[in-house]
Amino acid sequence: MNYWPMRQQAVYQIGQLIAAFMMTLIAPVFAATLEISIVDANNEPVPNVAVYVTQTGATIASSPGPIVMDQRDIRFEPHILVIQKGTAVEFPNSDVIAHHVYSFSKPNDFVLPLYKGNPHEPVLFEHEGIVTLGCNIHDHMLGYIVVVDTDIFGSTDEAGTLSVVIDDNSGAATVSIWSPRIRDKELTQVVAATSKSVAFSLKEKLRPAHDPDTEAMLWPEY
Amino acid sequence: MAGILKFQILILIAVTSLTSAALAQSEPARYRLDAGLDVSYIDASGHPSWLEGSAGKLRYDSDNDGLLLSRGFVDYGYRLADTLTMSINAEIYLEDFSSTLDLTEAYLEWRPIPRSANRYQLKVGAFYPRISLENSDYGWSSPYTLSSSAINTWVGEELRAYGAEFAVSRRPEALGGAHKFSLHASMFYNNDTAGGLIAWKGWSLHDRQSRLGDEVPLPPIPMIQPGMWFDAQDPFITPILEIDDTYGYYIDAEWSINKRFLLRATHYDNRTDPLGYKDGQFAWYTEFDQLGVKATLPGDIGLIAQWMDGYTVWGRLTDGIHAVDVGFESQFVLLTRSFDRHRISARYDHFEISEQDQIPLDENSENGHAWTVSYRYSISENLTLAAEWLEITSNRPAWAYFELAEKKTEQQLQLTLRMFFSRH
Repeated sequence: MNYWPMRQQAVYQIGQLIAAFMMTLIAPVFAATLEISIVDANNEPVPNVAVYVTQTGATIASSPGPIVMDQRDIRFEPHILVIQKGTAVEFPNSDVIAHHVYSFSKPNDFVLPLYKGNPHEPVLFEHEGIVTLGCNIHDHMLGYIVVVDTDIFGSTDEAGTLSVVIDDNSGAATVSIWSPRIRDKELTQVVAATSKSVAFSLKEKLRPAHDPDTEAMLWPEY
Repeated sequence: MAGILKFQILILIAVTSLTSAALAQSEPARYRLDAGLDVSYIDASGHPSWLEGSAGKLRYDSDNDGLLLSRGFVDYGYRLADTLTMSINAEIYLEDFSSTLDLTEAYLEWRPIPRSANRYQLKVGAFYPRISLENSDYGWSSPYTLSSSAINTWVGEELRAYGAEFAVSRRPEALGGAHKFSLHASMFYNNDTAGGLIAWKGWSLHDRQSRLGDEVPLPPIPMIQPGMWFDAQDPFITPILEIDDTYGYYIDAEWSINKRFLLRATHYDNRTDPLGYKDGQFAWYTEFDQLGVKATLPGDIGLIAQWMDGYTVWGRLTDGIHAVDVGFESQFVLLTRSFDRHRISARYDHFEISEQDQIPLDENSENGHAWTVSYRYSISENLTLAAEWLEITSNRPAWAYFELAEKKTEQQLQLTLRMFFSRH
C-alpha cells in the first residue's frame, strides 16, 4: 500500500500554502535585501556564478516545481543552473538532432536514453553538490547543476551581481559562490543578517568561459 | 558513364529523404542521413591534371572549364543501440576509377556512457586516421574551404585504416572541466601503398577523396613504363591495399580547452615491408609525425595550423638508401571568421619533397606553396554557395618528363552550389 507518500504530499502542499501565506505577512517585517557582487583579479565583474546563502535559524521554503535545463544549438541552456535540493529538472531537447544526457556526479548520477523532444520524466536531485552534465554524442556539451540546501540562491548577472532576500531576524548569513571558472579556494563569506552587501574579490585568474556564442558559430560541430 | 548513374541515384536518395523528413516525429530516428550534391563552375589554368593522366596538382584543368557535377556524398549513420552506431560514407565523382561501392569509410563506433571523468571509445572498421583538423563536416568535407590543404588532400588520397582505434579521454574536474586530454591508438591493415602518390605525384590540393577500391592514376613517369626498371608497377595506385600482412599503427595525444584551443600530436607508421609487391602494386614504407593546432584568436578569428614531416621508401636498400627514398614535409595555416550566414577563410600552404635516392629518370623532389581564399554563404538549410580561389606555385623537376614547365603557378576558380539534404 502506498497511501502514505500521497498523504504526505498533500500535507506538504497545504504546509507550503500556509508557509507562503505566512511569508507574505512576515516578509515586509523581517526580509532584507543582500546584494552580492563578484569581481575577478582585474576588478572586472564575473557573470554567471552560482550564489547561495544559508542562514542559521531560518526556515527553508520547500523546493518549487520542475525547472528546465534545455539543450539548444548543441549546448546546455543555461550553462549553470542553481536549484534547491529536492527539485525536479526537465531536460528537453530543442535541437533537431538527438542528445544523450548523463551525469557521473555521484550520488546525483543519471542517464537519459537518447532522445529528441521531451520524452523523459524530470530528474529529481535529492543530494547537495555539483552535478556535471554531458552528452554522450557531443563531447563538447558541458553543463552544471548546483544543488543547494537552501531556498536563497541565484546566479550573478552581467554586472557580476545578485540581490537576494534574507531574513534579517535570523542568524548570520553564509554566502557561498561557485563557478567552474573560479580557481580561488575561499568561496564563502559569513556576514551579519543585517548586512546590505557582500563583495567577493577573486585573486586567481579565471579559467576561460565555456564556448561563447561566437565560438559555437566559428567551430561548427555535428 | 557509371558516375552519372550514381549521381542520379544520389538525387533519388536525397528526394526520398526530404519527403520522409516531412513525416519526422520527435522520436530519434534509428538512422541519420546527410547527403550533398555539388554543382560547380570551374575556371582552371595549370598543368593538365594528374586525375586526367598527367601530373598537374589541381583536380581540374582547362578541359574542365565550365559547369560540372563536382561531387556527391552520402553520410549515413545507423544506431544499433544508444551507444553503438554504424557509419558509412560514400563519395560520388565523375572520375570513377573502377570503384564499385564508392565508400570512403564504413565503421562501428562504441561510446559507452562515462562513469567517471574518464571516457573510453572504440572504433572498428575502415576509417580515416585522425590527422585532419579541417575536414570536420559531413562526408569529411571542410566547413572552411572546398579544397583541402596539401596535408589533408594527401590524407584523403592515400590514408585509410582498416582496423580498430581505441581512445581514452579525461576531463579533470579539478581543472574546471574545460580541459580535456585524450589518447588515441589504432592498429590497422590495408594501407601498404600509402606514400606512392606523394613520391611519384607529389603534393596536391583538391577535394577528391579516394574510395575503398579506387585505382588512382599515377603520372606516366618514365620508370614505370614498359621495359623500365619499375615496370612491374601498374600505371595506377590502389591506395587502400594490404600487401605484406603486417599491421600498421598510429597514436595521437590531444589537449583541448573547450572549443577555444586544441593541440594534437600524431605519429603514423604503416610498418610496411618496402620490398613487398602484390598484383602490380609496390609496397611503400611510410612514417610521419604530425602536429595540429586549432585556436580562437582575438576578434573571433579561428586558426587551424598543421605540420607534417615524414618519409616514404620503396625497394631494395643500398648504402642505407632505398630505390625510391623521399622525405616529405608540409605546413599550412588557415584563418577563418564567420559572420552569421557568411564565412570567409584564407589558407597558406607550404610543401616540400626531398629525394635521397640517385635513381636516374626518377626525380621526385619538389617545393612549392599555395594560397586558398574562400567565401561561403549559407542561403538556407539546404543550399550553400561557395567561391574559392586556389593558386599553387611549385617547382617540380619531374614535370620535364611530360614536357611541362618545371616551375608553374597553377590557378583554379571554383564556384559551387551545394544542395544539402538531411534527415535525422
